[in-house]
Amino acid sequence: MAKSRTAAGAKLEADTGLDLLATMWRIRCFEERVAALKRAFKVYGLIHLSIGGEGVAAAVCRQLRDDDGIYSGHRAHGHAIAKGAPLAKMMAELMGREGGVCRGLGGSMHLVDRQHGMMGATGVVGGNLPLAVGDALAARVRGGDQVTAMFFGDGAVQAGTFAESVNLAALWELPLIFVCENNGFAEFTSRAEHSTIEQVSDVVAPYGFERETVDGSDVPAVWEAFRAFLDEARGGRGPMLLECLTYRRRGHYEGDPQQYRDPAAEAEWERRDPVARLQAHAVEQGWLDDDEARSLERRALEEVKDAERVALESSYPDPSLAAELVYATEECRPA
Amino acid sequence: MARELPYIAAINEAIHLEMARDDTVLFYGQDVAPSDDDDFVKAFSRDRVRVSPISETAEIGMAVGLALAGYRPVVELLMAEFMLVAMNQVVNEAPRLHLMSGGRVKVPLVLKAGYGFTAGWAGQHTGSIYNMFCGIPGLKVALPSTAADAKGLMATAIRDDNPVCYLLHYLLVLEHGDVPEGEYLVPFGKAVVRREGGDVTIVATGWTVGRALAAAETLAGEGIAAEVIDPRTLNPLDTATILASVEKTGRVVLVDQGTPHGAFSNVIAAGIADQGFSSLKAPVKQVTALDATVAYSEPMEAYVLPNEEKIAGAVRQVLGSAPVAA
Amino acid sequence: MTEKLDAERLTWMYTQMVRIREFEERVKRTFEEHPGVIRGHTHLADGAEASIVGSIATMRPGDQLMATYRCHGYPIALGTDTKKIMAEIYGRKDGLCGGYGGSMHLADPERGFLGTSGIVGQSIPQATGAGWAAQIRKEGQVVLCFFGDGASKQGAFHESLNLASLWKLPVVYVMENNNYNVSTRSDQEDANAAAGEPLSTKAKAYSMPGVTVDGGDPVAVHETVGEAVDRARSGDGPTLVESKVYRLSAHGNLIAPPGVPLHYPEHEAITTFGNREEYEAALRGDPVPRFRMRLVEEDTLDPGRADQILRDAREEMEAAVKYALDAALPEPEAALNHVYA
Repeated sequence: MAKSRTAAGAKLEADTGLDLLATMWRIRCFEERVAALKRAFKVYGLIHLSIGGEGVAAAVCRQLRDDDGIYSGHRAHGHAIAKGAPLAKMMAELMGREGGVCRGLGGSMHLVDRQHGMMGATGVVGGNLPLAVGDALAARVRGGDQVTAMFFGDGAVQAGTFAESVNLAALWELPLIFVCENNGFAEFTSRAEHSTIEQVSDVVAPYGFERETVDGSDVPAVWEAFRAFLDEARGGRGPMLLECLTYRRRGHYEGDPQQYRDPAAEAEWERRDPVARLQAHAVEQGWLDDDEARSLERRALEEVKDAERVALESSYPDPSLAAELVYATEECRPA
Repeated sequence: MARELPYIAAINEAIHLEMARDDTVLFYGQDVAPSDDDDFVKAFSRDRVRVSPISETAEIGMAVGLALAGYRPVVELLMAEFMLVAMNQVVNEAPRLHLMSGGRVKVPLVLKAGYGFTAGWAGQHTGSIYNMFCGIPGLKVALPSTAADAKGLMATAIRDDNPVCYLLHYLLVLEHGDVPEGEYLVPFGKAVVRREGGDVTIVATGWTVGRALAAAETLAGEGIAAEVIDPRTLNPLDTATILASVEKTGRVVLVDQGTPHGAFSNVIAAGIADQGFSSLKAPVKQVTALDATVAYSEPMEAYVLPNEEKIAGAVRQVLGSAPVAA
Repeated sequence: MTEKLDAERLTWMYTQMVRIREFEERVKRTFEEHPGVIRGHTHLADGAEASIVGSIATMRPGDQLMATYRCHGYPIALGTDTKKIMAEIYGRKDGLCGGYGGSMHLADPERGFLGTSGIVGQSIPQATGAGWAAQIRKEGQVVLCFFGDGASKQGAFHESLNLASLWKLPVVYVMENNNYNVSTRSDQEDANAAAGEPLSTKAKAYSMPGVTVDGGDPVAVHETVGEAVDRARSGDGPTLVESKVYRLSAHGNLIAPPGVPLHYPEHEAITTFGNREEYEAALRGDPVPRFRMRLVEEDTLDPGRADQILRDAREEMEAAVKYALDAALPEPEAALNHVYA
């Protein structure tokens, strides 16, 4: 039966904490720049930002190896970056350039970076939950200690694919960690309008696997909870579900008029911003001083600027690629 | 060496051979080997052969995930209609990921399902819905009509680097035919001329190939030489073989077990109109199922299906009609 | 409040169970006695009669139900003419659905039987929609949604139960758990079954009550489903009832192309798993004789009356077979009717 463990008050080592903070700044600066570029019509299409959720991406992905697969939904920039996707290739992808992670054919909602284990993202809510089950089944058939992590939002939990995937992962005891980012909104409506079950971890109550709900803006807590699950999954156990309570500080998509938002919650979550919180913690712990802290942000901004420059230098893909890449051929081997 | 095998055994033989040849081929689905006393389980273990719940979306979605992780799953779906439960995975995930990744991932998997079971199974298990899967870029569609093709197309489907809907015809499962032993591959996109003739071209797929050949035999008695072409895969489609035949005969009858609106025969007809119009001596005629959900009761079920008489009648019509000005 | 079952009502329940059993015996016998008359696929509910009748006995006029392709029993208990049902299974023009639907697609909306799906799990959202309609109408109607254990692994089950709970819809989800998906055992495909838990555990995910009942005991089913119906009727929302039954026949008749004679093979416990003991134990617990014995022992039913019920049912089903055999087949051209309403 479900075991509850609390990770609040968890401790991070200094170098781990600093790595997470740097990763979160890279995601934050990248996404803020993407928002500006979107308004300037330099990145295309539907853009979903994860500002406010960087802590989960960093605390989960920075513990995984390149050969551990992750899947994500439509809000995937942070996961890909934290897993190791180069910023320049990310930016180029969002700009539809040949130098992008998907050569400009996927865009924001379909990021793939196999080299670093970013196996895919989807534009259909819950659409790739079973793909992650397949990835974990592959790990099991292969016989190694690889682990798969599946990122999804609370909106995906009401989709049939969720129940089918959870049953199979539990039945076959697959090394799969479900990571739900419960940000309080399914697109434009609050969770209460979608389900009577407030906590996503309670939706898997019928299945006897481990689950835990943590404050997603408490980075040490996410790190600690995921670490415990990861240790078990490496040992061949699974699945588990980690629910991270976060807040989507921007609209569902860039340009969303957001008439559904509650100002009180806004203020509360601004106070709980994971980047600021971890930074304050880092200073408090003496991992770095105020100047060094500010330089972390500056370095991230520089990196994003460089990424933008490299992306802009990348050419658009040859239009004929659109027809060439419909079918895989013998020559196509996974990167 | 070839020997006689039923169509269904030929399919299993292909899967078995491919699993023996390539460790990454997996086989699972509803009611696949619930008992350990099963040839596949005994040969390849429970890791590679699994019985799954009735969760089509998860079954097909997992196949996509397995494929992305380097495996080649064959998913047993029993009935083509069961894929409709998981349309997102079939249409919007599996065939799109290769292109959207800029060619950096591939999704080799086989969705094995039966169709066209007009044997009193009423409206939800008798459809010939292959046309629904043909308009999807990235998704290949194979429709074997003989035991040999059943084997050869399955082997090719498994080796293909893309998602393939392998649709076997339920009325053919016990039909015997010569099947080559050992490795046997039938290429995709290569039609076969099942019978040669110079007066009219009949294009048919799956079970209707046999009906077309029977009609051709009847017509031969009337002095009409019909050529019967079986495309074997609808995507890719071997348009060249069809056009070459039309150039020779100038007259075409297209047979399709699907319903007329959006039938695959419409696509072939459009291709002929586009690229072979000057060869035509008569309008293109299509013999499809009639526009209705298949009814349970036998007289009604038979009434809506294409058959030998309808095909022969259509041939007589195109031969009797006035030439079309080119 | 759930109705108290008096002798007359209990006798009515026993009568319906016997009628369903005898009807389906004739369906089964038709494959031998009149080869070729039944085409396609039939699925029998023998072993589930107590569950069907116990559930239906809780319904009031105006209540509705939806079911699966294993659907002969429901209309029989609801009072649909067995002649019409048999004629449908024989593909006759005067069948319940004009020969269009056959065994898997019975419907009798006038009696509240809205229909079935031939695809596992797909009538669950449909019944949920009917529940929403009932809620809007505010006439206290309740919808019973019947499905099998296999259907609970369909995404549609999860989506539907979440919505029904969220909107407090007046639906009772009756899962007839016969422990087999065709020839796959539940513990091979269901994480709860594999863990030795009842499948009603799944209700936890939807904050609705989940209860398990012996589906071989019509009185217990009546009580359990009755409580769920009361709850639904009073606006408190849905319930998941797991009714444990044992299917006494194979999943369905042989699947074969036209021309191959059809028949009922032995149960999958024997054909797939070689477990004859399991099947024979289930036969010994057959709910129809079990209920008769109980009613007789309790002096609720006179053995002579029980014999008469059986004789009447046999006579009724003989007449149904005769009617269906004599009935005309539809005109072929009728195939094009009813494509659009």
